[in-house]
Amino acid sequence: MDIDDILREVDPVSYQIPQETRDLQDLTRAWVAERSTPELLPWPSNGLFERINDKIKRQIEKVEEMTGDMDPKTNFALIVIQTELERFKYLVRSFLRTRIAKIDKHLLHYISNDNLRTRMSQIEEAYARRHQLLLHNHYLNSFLGTFPPAMQNLNDTAGNISMIDSPDLDSAVFIRLLKDAEIECHGVDVDGVLTGKEGDIVILRWSDAKGLVEKGDAELV
Amino acid sequence: MALPLPPGLTQNEVAFLAEMEMVTVVPRQRLDSIDLLGGKTPQLRPPHRAQLPLWLALLLKKQRRANIVPPAWMHPASLAEIIHRETKEDPEAFSPPPPPPSRALYSQPGTARRLNPSYLDDFTQTQQDSQQDPNSILSSPFLPSNVAESPAGYLPYHWLEVAEALLTHAGDDMPAPAGEVRSLLRDLVEVRAAKMRSSTSALEGFGDAYLTLRGVGAMELAENRAFLAGLVDGVRKIGASAEATRREEEEEARRGGDYGGDGDDDSDEDMGL
Repeated sequence: MDIDDILREVDPVSYQIPQETRDLQDLTRAWVAERSTPELLPWPSNGLFERINDKIKRQIEKVEEMTGDMDPKTNFALIVIQTELERFKYLVRSFLRTRIAKIDKHLLHYISNDNLRTRMSQIEEAYARRHQLLLHNHYLNSFLGTFPPAMQNLNDTAGNISMIDSPDLDSAVFIRLLKDAEIECHGVDVDGVLTGKEGDIVILRWSDAKGLVEKGDAELV
Repeated sequence: MALPLPPGLTQNEVAFLAEMEMVTVVPRQRLDSIDLLGGKTPQLRPPHRAQLPLWLALLLKKQRRANIVPPAWMHPASLAEIIHRETKEDPEAFSPPPPPPSRALYSQPGTARRLNPSYLDDFTQTQQDSQQDPNSILSSPFLPSNVAESPAGYLPYHWLEVAEALLTHAGDDMPAPAGEVRSLLRDLVEVRAAKMRSSTSALEGFGDAYLTLRGVGAMELAENRAFLAGLVDGVRKIGASAEATRREEEEEARRGGDYGGDGDDDSDEDMGL
C-alpha cells in the first residue's frame, strides 16, 4: 500500500478532490454543454473563469522561468506543463468562441431581453452592444437610410412576427442522464413521458431537456 | 473568430475529450509530481503503478519512460464476450454501459457505497457529503473506466478512441497480439454501426418525443450526430403545423371536457333527486 493511501484513509478531513481538478471538470462540462446547445447558456458562476484565467497566467510565467534555467531534469517537466497548458487554452478558447458565435447569430435577441442579458459576461455584453451598433450603423449607411424613418428600426414587432431572430429552442440535443428521472417530452405525433435510468443517452428537444440539465440531473453529450 | 461549427461535438473534439480519460501506467523511470493546471500528477516510482490522464500516458510511452496497462475490457476474451452479447443476446439495443463505480467504505466495514466524486481512491462518505457539492456526479471522461481495474465485459463511453490510441502507440503492451485485438475491435465497430443504421431506419416517420440510445459510444455518437439531429429536426419542422393543430385540438378537448363534466354532474344530481 502506498503511503498516500494510508494517509488518506487515516486523515480524510484534509483530503478531498483538489479545487483544480474540480475546475477542470467544470470547465470541460461547460465546454461540452456550450458546444451542444442551440442557445446561450448562463456564464459559469462561482468565479470559475476568473480562477482559470489567473492560473493560466501564472502557469505561463512559470513556463517562462523554467525555460530560462535549462536543466535536463526539469526539461521533461517543462514539456508536460506546456502540453497541458495548450490543452487548457484550447478548452478556454473553444468555449469563448462558441459563445461569441451564438451571440453573433442572435445579437438583438440577447441584448434586448433582460434575463438573457445576464447570461453573458460583462465583456461579452459590451462586445454584443458594440457589434450591434456597428452593424446597425453600417446598414443605415448602406441602404436603411433611404427607408422612411418609421422603418429604420431593426426591432420591429408590429404584426404577428417579430423582426428579432430567436434561436430555435426545440432543436434536438443528446443528453446523458445522471440520475433516474421521468421527463415529459413533446413530439410531433405524440407527447410522451420518458422513464430514464441513470446512464441513458437520450435524444430529445432542448426545451424538454433544459430543466434537467439546469438541475444537474442530466448532462449534454 | 467565432466558431463556425454547428452545435454538437465533432470527432476531433471527442478525441480531445477522450484523452482526458485516466489510464494505469507502469513507469520505468522516477518522476516527481508535477504541478499541473488540473491538479498534481502522482509521483512516479517504478515499479508501482499510477493513474495518469491518457494524453500524459501517451507522451511518456512515446519517450519510453512508461508502459501503459490496457484496461480489462480490452482483453480479447472480454471483447469476444461483448461481441457475443451484441450479436446474439441483444440484437436491437447496444450493450449496457459499465456500472457506476462503487467502493468499500473505510468507516463502515462491509458497506459499499457509490463512489461519487473521484477517480482518486476512496475516502469516507461523511466527509464527502459535508465538504463537497453533493450534486456533483461524475461522468465520462472523469470516471475511472479505462484503468486496469475497470470491469471487463462493458464498453465505456470513450471505448473506441481509447482503444485506437492504445493500439497505435502501446501495441506492445497489449495482453494479446495487437492484430487480434484490432480485428476484434473492427468486428465490434461493424456490429454497432449496423445497429446504429438500423435504428435510424426505424426513425422513418419519427413522431415520437424521444429516442433512447443506451450504451452508445462517443465516436459513434459524433459520427451520427449530424444525421440523427438533422433527421429529428427535419421531421419536427415538416410536422410543425400538424403538431400545432394537434395541440390546439387537445386544448379544445380538455376545455370542452371540463364543461362536459359539469353538465354530467348536474344531470346526475337531478336524477338522484
